[in-house]
Amino acid sequence: MGKAVELKNITKRFPGIVANDRINLEIQKGEIHAIVGENGAGKSTLMKVLAGLYQPDEGEIFIFGKKEKISSPNKAIELKIGMVHQHFMLVDRFTVLENIILGAEKKKGFTIDEKTCRETLKKLLELYNFKLDLDARLEDISVGHAQRVEIMKVLYRGADILVLDEPTAVLAPQEVDELFINLRRLKEEGKTIIFISHKLDEVLSIADNITVLRRGKAVGTVPADSVTKEELARMMVGKPVLMKLNKTPAEKGEVKLSLRDVMMKGHGGRNVLNGVTLKVCGGEIYGIVGVEGNGQKELAEAIIGLQQDYDGDIKVCGKPTKGLSIKQIRDMGVAFIPEDRHRQGLVLPMKVWENSILGLHRKEEFKKKTSIDIKKAEEFTSRNVKGFSIIISSIHQAIEGLSGGNQQKVILSRELSQEPIVILAAQPTRGLDIGAMEFVHQQLLEKRREGKAVVLISADLEEVLSISDRVGVIFDGEIVAEFTPEETTLEDIGVYMLGAHKKAGESA
Amino acid sequence: MKKDYKILALKILAPFVAIILAAFISSLIILAIDKDPLQVFYTMFKFSFKRIDSIAMILFNATPLIFSALAVSIGFKMGLFNIGIEGQYLIGTFMAALVGFSIKGLPAVIHLPLVILAGIVGGMIWSFIPIFLKVKRGVHEVISTIMLNYVAYSLIHFLIADVFRDRQQSLVEGLGSVLVRTPKLAASAVIPKMHGFLAFFGVQLPKHVYLNWFFPISVVLAAGIYYLIMRTPFGYELRAVGHNPEASCIAGINQGRIYFKGFLLSGAVAGLVGLSDLLGYFRYMDMDFPRGYGFDGIAVALIAQNNPFGIIASAILFGFLKRGSEGIQALLKVPMDTIVILQSLMIIFIVVITKIINDYVKRLEKREVA
Repeated sequence: MGKAVELKNITKRFPGIVANDRINLEIQKGEIHAIVGENGAGKSTLMKVLAGLYQPDEGEIFIFGKKEKISSPNKAIELKIGMVHQHFMLVDRFTVLENIILGAEKKKGFTIDEKTCRETLKKLLELYNFKLDLDARLEDISVGHAQRVEIMKVLYRGADILVLDEPTAVLAPQEVDELFINLRRLKEEGKTIIFISHKLDEVLSIADNITVLRRGKAVGTVPADSVTKEELARMMVGKPVLMKLNKTPAEKGEVKLSLRDVMMKGHGGRNVLNGVTLKVCGGEIYGIVGVEGNGQKELAEAIIGLQQDYDGDIKVCGKPTKGLSIKQIRDMGVAFIPEDRHRQGLVLPMKVWENSILGLHRKEEFKKKTSIDIKKAEEFTSRNVKGFSIIISSIHQAIEGLSGGNQQKVILSRELSQEPIVILAAQPTRGLDIGAMEFVHQQLLEKRREGKAVVLISADLEEVLSISDRVGVIFDGEIVAEFTPEETTLEDIGVYMLGAHKKAGESA
Repeated sequence: MKKDYKILALKILAPFVAIILAAFISSLIILAIDKDPLQVFYTMFKFSFKRIDSIAMILFNATPLIFSALAVSIGFKMGLFNIGIEGQYLIGTFMAALVGFSIKGLPAVIHLPLVILAGIVGGMIWSFIPIFLKVKRGVHEVISTIMLNYVAYSLIHFLIADVFRDRQQSLVEGLGSVLVRTPKLAASAVIPKMHGFLAFFGVQLPKHVYLNWFFPISVVLAAGIYYLIMRTPFGYELRAVGHNPEASCIAGINQGRIYFKGFLLSGAVAGLVGLSDLLGYFRYMDMDFPRGYGFDGIAVALIAQNNPFGIIASAILFGFLKRGSEGIQALLKVPMDTIVILQSLMIIFIVVITKIINDYVKRLEKREVA
């Protein structure tokens, strides 16, 4: 068996970040090869390089042993690489057949030769043992079937290498089983499948080989039958080489933020928060770790007041926050560094100085009679720019022109400027380079020294373990375990993150 | 900074490029109907600017468009498309007319402000419905405002033709016919012309010019709205919500409240659109009261890229085109529709050019940092 895909030293940079850093990868013909890693590890970027959507800055690509330059998605199809996107690209009003042949119709004169298309498709369906009603309208079929349509689309175009980007994210458990049956059948027929995921159970059950990415680098490739879930988890989150930050012992103050039995229902009535109880004191950093999608986002939104539809209590300095507006909660001293800075933290087309007073724009210090004191706001921004070493050409430039790290610094400088009591930081270092990351950590530690209560929600175990005083593991909307970094091992946390068992949380 | 000036220059240049391109293509159309484009444009300018009274007429033409475009731009600034200026100003105009003809015996200093206030309230009532539906029920404002325009048309029709129709019109002996209109407004509700004020500076306007004090009011209002949007905390919130509602919300800005206030303000300004014609020209509201200012206002705001001062300029441009089109029709027998084509082309070009320039500016800023 030869190599279907070989990547050598693939590097892709975006402003301020290296998304893929000299990645080497070999995928054998006829195998199911999984690529795992946390969000932001560089999986999608790598696959977009393979699908011709991005051009790598450096490195070489070999397809079936031949060196190729994948200059466009069409070129990828020519090379028999088919991408099945996470978000379906299908036309609701069309039938399954129409969707599959769309853009690759066989023609008879001016009309589409539907008969030939149908026969080709029927043969394909039979060969791979796919069950699909070709005449059903897409809007009438289930998500699982829609995904089969997407897979058929690339098979119809003759793909031999299938790239599936988080295919199970949208599926129910039994649909996942069906997908896996289909994928195994494809493998029997000699197709090569690249399977991207961060769900370790699935990866272990379907893949032959697994490559782990972390922070843009390939950590290693292991055969699926000789690795355990815990080992994979450790590869994904990194070795606990605690960064040596000048961390003084915690001087715990009184409880600043407390949550008791917070329950919240998500779409479809499932509990996304399942009775979260925790207490955070002044002068400590409380880290919350967990696999993405276990309620971290909802937890943060409940604390800041964006989501009010929960049961249980959330108290800031002993005062319940339920029913208060976001502004009132912020005025109580809660600062928020949101997970998605473009959507939640910044107004991209507005200027740097305007963004750095967002939410503070009604404060006395920026008031001049009926208007905003622009001079004061500019001075304030310039101070922040200096204090946080933000690299910009002018405070009058639109903030969308800044790199991710500098944008994040603007948010930090803004949120930390108002002497907050509780600092809620959700994935504050996501997508940042090492330098910016360390800066964020220093700032959070500085606030801890000043006696603030810091809640750090992060998918990066290394980060959480190195700067937190206590760590809570969130799984399925619940804090299933609480540790201090000293008393835990990475294995332990990995096990809890995957929901293996519970450890009664100690109260602070 | 040098780059800032460059960006500013580009932004100011954009409408001019659009106008020139539009004029060029219109020339082809004028050629196609066997007329000389140079002569047409020359006649337009000569007819419009040769006499001072013509210039005053252009400003009179521009007045409703300034109000209308300002109202549209407030919506755009917060990310909402108030396409219902049309209905809002008709309701506002009717309310003003109602207060104008039904109250008698008040001194002008009280009656006129009261009439203007009635216009504002009318516009606000008609803008309240769509924004209430949007904030409370998620109804898209484009749909509701368009539909409300039609409701306003019919409602005004009913009110003028059936409820408040003036049935005691005295006609000049055997001449003319009875108009379907409201009673005449009281003299105390009429807006003074600018003749006296301008005469003070030696500018003598003839009687058939109706330029009135609503023009300076519209200019002052434009300045006021610029201040409100660019300087005050409310305007800041309006713009932030317009660009990114989610981030604004997390920053503690109450989006619903901003929408309410902003849209009511837009409606209030829309309520002023018809008043220059009502209080300065017709002095009654009839079935044929001018329509379309609401839609023209969208075009004016678009060309001005929602900048209040740009709106004054582009409204005057539209006023000039209207005046000029009358000239070429009368003097050269070139149909007025030529100018409509010119206007449409200008709008298309401005949209395209603005997009190109904005992309260019963005690249410029990115390069600077990298």
